[in-house]
Amino acid sequence: MTSSMTRPLPSLAQYSGRDPNEPLAGPAESRYLGGMPRLLPPGPGPAGLRAHLARFGAPPLDWAGRGLVAELQAAGLTGRGGAAFPTYRKLAAVAGHRRPAVVIGNGAEGEPASSKDKTLLWAAPQLVLDGLQLAAAAIGSGTAGLYVHRDQRLHQWLAASIAERAAAGLDLVPVELIAAPARFLAGEESALASRAAGGPALPRFKPPRASERGVADRPTLVQNVETLAQLALIARYGAAWFRSAGTTDEPGSMLATLHQADGQMLVVETELGTPIRDLLRLPAPAVLVGGYHGAWIPGGLAERLPLTNAALRPLGAAVGAGVLAALPADRCGLAETARVVRYLALESAGQCGPCFNGLPRIAGALAELASPWPRPEIITDVRRWCGLVEGRGACRHPDGTVRLVRSALEVFASELDQHILGRCAASSSRPFLPLPPDLALDEADWR
Amino acid sequence: MTAITQSTALWYASRATGVVSLLLLTLVVVLGIAVNRQGRLPGLPAFAVTGLHRSVSLLSVLFIAAHVATAVIDPYVSIRAAAVVIPFVSAYQPFWLGLGAVSLDLIAALILTSLARARMPRRAWRGIHWLAYAAWPVALIHSIGASPDLRSGGLRLLAIGCTLTVGGAGLWRLAQRAREMPRAERAAAVLAASEPPVRRPARPSFVPDREAR
Repeated sequence: MTSSMTRPLPSLAQYSGRDPNEPLAGPAESRYLGGMPRLLPPGPGPAGLRAHLARFGAPPLDWAGRGLVAELQAAGLTGRGGAAFPTYRKLAAVAGHRRPAVVIGNGAEGEPASSKDKTLLWAAPQLVLDGLQLAAAAIGSGTAGLYVHRDQRLHQWLAASIAERAAAGLDLVPVELIAAPARFLAGEESALASRAAGGPALPRFKPPRASERGVADRPTLVQNVETLAQLALIARYGAAWFRSAGTTDEPGSMLATLHQADGQMLVVETELGTPIRDLLRLPAPAVLVGGYHGAWIPGGLAERLPLTNAALRPLGAAVGAGVLAALPADRCGLAETARVVRYLALESAGQCGPCFNGLPRIAGALAELASPWPRPEIITDVRRWCGLVEGRGACRHPDGTVRLVRSALEVFASELDQHILGRCAASSSRPFLPLPPDLALDEADWR
Repeated sequence: MTAITQSTALWYASRATGVVSLLLLTLVVVLGIAVNRQGRLPGLPAFAVTGLHRSVSLLSVLFIAAHVATAVIDPYVSIRAAAVVIPFVSAYQPFWLGLGAVSLDLIAALILTSLARARMPRRAWRGIHWLAYAAWPVALIHSIGASPDLRSGGLRLLAIGCTLTVGGAGLWRLAQRAREMPRAERAAAVLAASEPPVRRPARPSFVPDREAR
């Protein structure tokens, strides 16, 4: 990490309201600092095809089939959907099959606290679509899809963007727009594969992974839309350029969704390795890193840490999909965690017993821990139940939820003691972390 | 009453571990059925049944291993090591011991596939796990056939009890199948049962919510 941190960051997109599904009218403000932003358009308003081509030129599709995988390996690009899996390995795995492959851009941002994929799709759809075409060319795929949460305005904008490219004759492969249901797990890889084939967006057991048998049993490359946009830049400017931002082990830039303690929500593009204190206005009692499958870290520690997996891993946290939230000083971290875990429990697909039995039980116990005079033995119960659900699902939903719960018990340990005595330091019970409204669910909600 | 001597110790050990194995396997089957039908056991969260099913399975493996090892080592009847896994090749009671070998093979397949479950296709694991419904009856018939003890007195009651327990659990499973909760409603149903009761005076919230409208 360089010490010449020129980055109090470009604020690229600013949300006025707290509705995470609301598309942006356009970036409110943007500044170039240290070669940033890379992905988001510099000017106000979303970039259309003409502005896109003027800034980046046409994607080098004829080259992609020969050199892209090696270039991605040299660049060290990892998946920006949260798992940080090396992108070149996914491409190589799918390209290694003889059967015809499918490539799908994953813009189903089920995480209520994250808005970076929606922002990117709104602001720079052409870069994502470039990435989709380049990935298809690299793995020799003739079928491409873009999987995005069902939102009329965003879908109209994307359909128009796809049509504009097709009319300009830019594309090798036609792109199908696929609607994702508004569920937390809809963007999970196997759920996506099922939905893209016309089924419900439900996770299934692995193996087989989507890269072996995904959509309609064909090898399927699923990449987060930001990963595709990064890929489209690496194809043009190369690995060395990509590595000129970020750290040696975690190179490049990333999009992050910031929740400031005053309620402001902001999507920014930042380098990996940026100090967290440059992104969030601190001090705060605690910082949520990596979203609702992420972890709380103490505010004092957050002030000293950079945004890298290497720095966060010892705390049981990870960069994930780039969600950072500073807990306001007047709120109770346990109450916030209890609300979020309740939501996560209700988002269980209801398929695996440990998940749909365990998470609601943990959520119920957290609700008690968030209220006055909880029974102290509940804490032991929650810890035990966390162990019983971990690693026991078709997907990582139980594991991610348990990570959040454990970090809350750790970071808010002194608050727990206060609650047991019937006291709480918080002066407001107003909800802070964004959650969608509570709705009764049925089977049709998975489609 | 026969005294346990050095020459009969292994024989008794083999029979005792066999009886315990039968009891444990019965428990494993019942827990397995409970896991599958989202059953509840008093004082235990539903998802803990899975952990218990797994733990008791592994415990029963230890007893089955002791049962087989003592039977082979016991010099009173000669059982070849090969007869442990290859059915119907034993010189002593080829049919009844053959059934024991069959159930041992089935149980080995169940345990090994479950240990490798994360690395194999879910459908294959599930298909093999259905063999549990074959392994248990075969093990029971092996016990009754090979050991006259189970045909009279207290041990006969035990064998009948095991049969009725598994049979009852199987029937309960079939009955449950008819009224299964849709998966979209499952988590909400458990949550409704797990959330702390709202007893206003006993459990007030910390902050009278002035800010929220």
